[in-house]
Amino acid sequence: MPVDDKLRVGVYICSCGANIGSVIDPAAVAEYASHLPDVVLARDYMYMCGDPGQNLIRKDIRQYKLNRVVVAACSVRMHEPTFRACVADAGLNPFLMEMANIREQDTWVHSKDPEGALLKAKELVAAAVAKVRHVFPLTTITVAVTKKAMVIGGGVAGISAALDLADMGIPTYLVEKELSIGGTMAQLNKTFPTMDCSI
Amino acid sequence: MVDAARQPLIDVMAYSDVERVDGYIGNFRAQVRRNPRYVLADRCNGCGACSRVCPIEVPNSFELDIAPRKAIDVPHGQAVPLIYQIDIDNCIKCYQCVTACGHLDAIDFSQKAEVVDLDIGAIVVATGFDSFDATKIPEFGYSRYPNVITAMEMERLANSAGPTIGHLVRPSDGKFPHSLAIIQCVGSRDKRFNEYCSGFCCMYSIKNALYLKQAHPEMDICIFYMDIRTPAKGYEEFYNRARQMGIRFIQGRPSQVTEDPVTHNLFVEVEDQALGQVIEMEAEMVCLAAAAIPRGDSEQVASMLTLSRSPSGFYMEYHPKLRPVDSPTDGIFLAGAIQGPKDIPASVAQGSAAASRAARVLSKDTWEIEPIVARVDAERCISAQGKKCGICARACPYGAITVEQGYAAVVTPAKCHGCGGCVAECPQDAIRQDHFTDAQVVAQLAVLLKDSPQEKILAFMCHWCSYGGADNAGTSHFEYPASSRGVRVMCSARMDQDFILDAFRRGAGMVLVSGCHPQDCHYITGQQVAARRFERIPRTLERMGINPERFRVEWISAAEGDKYARVITEMDAKLKSMDRGQIIAETARALPEINNRLKRWRSVPYMADLLTEPELEAVR
Ligand SMILES: Cc1cc2nc3c(=O)[nH]c(=O)nc-3n(C[C@H](O)[C@H](O)[C@H](O)COP(=O)(O)OP(=O)(O)OC[C@H]3O[C@@H](n4cnc5c(N)ncnc54)[C@H](O)[C@@H]3O)c2cc1C
Ligand code: SF4
Ligand code: SF4
Ligand code: SF4
Repeated sequence: MPVDDKLRVGVYICSCGANIGSVIDPAAVAEYASHLPDVVLARDYMYMCGDPGQNLIRKDIRQYKLNRVVVAACSVRMHEPTFRACVADAGLNPFLMEMANIREQDTWVHSKDPEGALLKAKELVAAAVAKVRHVFPLTTITVAVTKKAMVIGGGVAGISAALDLADMGIPTYLVEKELSIGGTMAQLNKTFPTMDCSI
Repeated sequence: MVDAARQPLIDVMAYSDVERVDGYIGNFRAQVRRNPRYVLADRCNGCGACSRVCPIEVPNSFELDIAPRKAIDVPHGQAVPLIYQIDIDNCIKCYQCVTACGHLDAIDFSQKAEVVDLDIGAIVVATGFDSFDATKIPEFGYSRYPNVITAMEMERLANSAGPTIGHLVRPSDGKFPHSLAIIQCVGSRDKRFNEYCSGFCCMYSIKNALYLKQAHPEMDICIFYMDIRTPAKGYEEFYNRARQMGIRFIQGRPSQVTEDPVTHNLFVEVEDQALGQVIEMEAEMVCLAAAAIPRGDSEQVASMLTLSRSPSGFYMEYHPKLRPVDSPTDGIFLAGAIQGPKDIPASVAQGSAAASRAARVLSKDTWEIEPIVARVDAERCISAQGKKCGICARACPYGAITVEQGYAAVVTPAKCHGCGGCVAECPQDAIRQDHFTDAQVVAQLAVLLKDSPQEKILAFMCHWCSYGGADNAGTSHFEYPASSRGVRVMCSARMDQDFILDAFRRGAGMVLVSGCHPQDCHYITGQQVAARRFERIPRTLERMGINPERFRVEWISAAEGDKYARVITEMDAKLKSMDRGQIIAETARALPEINNRLKRWRSVPYMADLLTEPELEAVR
């Protein structure tokens, strides 16, 4: 469980090509991170999300017996699933990985203040390390899936979605508020670019 | 259309409204209301005998009210499903239709709306677009001058299945128009109305011009445009064909359309950009390419499904580049013009894409969801000690908590969506949220506010909206001062008053709490729980001697990167205008009171270690 003396944190700073690396020096952030509590290694790399970057993490987890990982890169909305899967591949519970957003919420918005951006990056990494020292493994919840779909709106987009779903064997409700499906397309005369009729 | 009706696995529920949707990925339940047609679907064979005898004519919205329909009718001959319907408000109950229907006996005046529950695992939202109301630009005379029509009306008037059997005529006198002026960008690319380009109107105007020119080579057709936008495959060639056929293209946005009251001919006044001078064209008909706009009910549908809307009003995708058909809610996907103006090929492609994203879920027996749920520490819950409480249950948007006096509160994990509202509301700190525990959040505060806290803005962000807004500021490269430090939780409901007090205790110069707009909240009412809590905070701060202007509440959607950047910029300016010594003095003054309030927190696991006194240099 959290905060015990056996914590071994690995920290990875992504340069994201020039997206991060042209504003701050990822190596400086890694150097700073290497002194944070429980951090056993800190590295920077050109593209953490690429295969070589992910392999680096997986290899380190095995070799250095890392039990917590911090990736400082882009937004969690972008790559949290990627890095969770990456650490899980190496046998770590996916919830023992934390990200620090040093791109969308740092270098992309402070490009005119590289010093401020560097300080912020360091502190965001330190915060992620602080959090990861308190996280514990979680087991995902498995829910049953009802294998049916509902499409709301019976225009050409909805019809096309419903047909594809049904053709894949999925029973589909196509709910249309008007009397007939077809949407705007049904009202059109000839349609570009083929100039054939719409229905 | 017909294919959909023929596919046995598709249940076409036309003339129906989705009234409610509950549940989560893999397990949604929708309540759908089937409106009464007063005609039985399983008996009506679509022969139309009823309609022929019906004496009443009513407006037909399918024909844009250009032509009427009968009180019992179908909107058009190719309707799917081909089942007649009675416009009951206009029906005079003469029952001639019943007689005409005869032994089929399909007409049933006693039919009632029927509400059905559908269990589904995924939802595709494809509710399309509406057209801009051209009367909002009075200079063009739409609805005032009979021969000014919209492009949609043109589609019906030129349509061989339409009210004029394809003979284009002037509404004023029923005569063929020998000259036609088409005006582009009506309500699009116009800062007064919609900033965006509607995308497909250049192409449909060229289409209509081509079609008419082919049928009537002598017709004078002129398109007034700002820019011609024909970027898709084969579209530029289509445009070139129109030019070769003698359709005139004049660059310039007309300033006004006037009418000769006798002939009802129209005069289009425009500054021709090529000539650099104002010209006037006389036309027997004017057609307006009205903008594609979001559906009138899009806000309502968005709140029913917890979707977000972009500033334009169209639905927001999870990620504009990488997840363009996923909505922000797991298991709900977007297709067609509801996500932004789209022509037919793009709408069809997106429909297929949404189907495949949905099938990714529906092809599996089970789906894994994040275990970020609330858990009760029975020993701390005062209900277990026989006291009356239940605050947590009242805060929960999903009814996931049951509290019975004498027993500890119980969270049903499958119902809990992990907003963290109960965690923040529980006065006993008896509930924790996995992956966003008090210790996990406070550990971040301790680090972020270790050095020079007076110069920092501590920004609490919710995962779905304000964190997304901050990301959007990034993808848009909106610069703002580097003084903010973000802490992410799932919902603004998780932003405990104790977090805010702790941030001030540690000397933070400013604290921002930010979350979704009420209608965008991913946890139904989580935002409301938060908003009520935040309302009380300025007074609490004031009583402690902290200037309440150091605390700010903002609702920022995932699309509002500009707002996020602006809020931080304003807070930074405010902070810089304040006296640093004063901030430190306020912190020192409030310290004992805050420490006192946070006493109970120390007994929460790992919290005692984290709640050490702020380093003296911070309050020096
Ligand atoms: C004048 C004009 C001419 C055009 N010409 C062409 C052309 O030639 N070629 C081309 O490629 N494109 C053309 N387009 C564009 C084309 O109309 C769109 O690409 C297409 O209609 C988009 O399809 P959709 O399914 O997304 O939306 P829609 O066609 O708008 O369909 C949406 C459907 O959802 C239903 N709905 C809405 N809300 C709800 C709700 N709450 N519950 C249930 N159902 C609901 C609606 O009733 C409708 O049936 C033209 C557009 C206009 C305006
Ligand atoms: S597609 Fe053409 S007419 Fe329509 S808004 Fe864009 S530029 Fe204007
Ligand atoms: S709010 Fe806290 S103390 Fe009250 S019933 Fe819920 S868990 Fe127990
Ligand atoms: S309030 Fe939120 S976190 Fe608490 S039980 Fe309900 S859904 Fe779960």
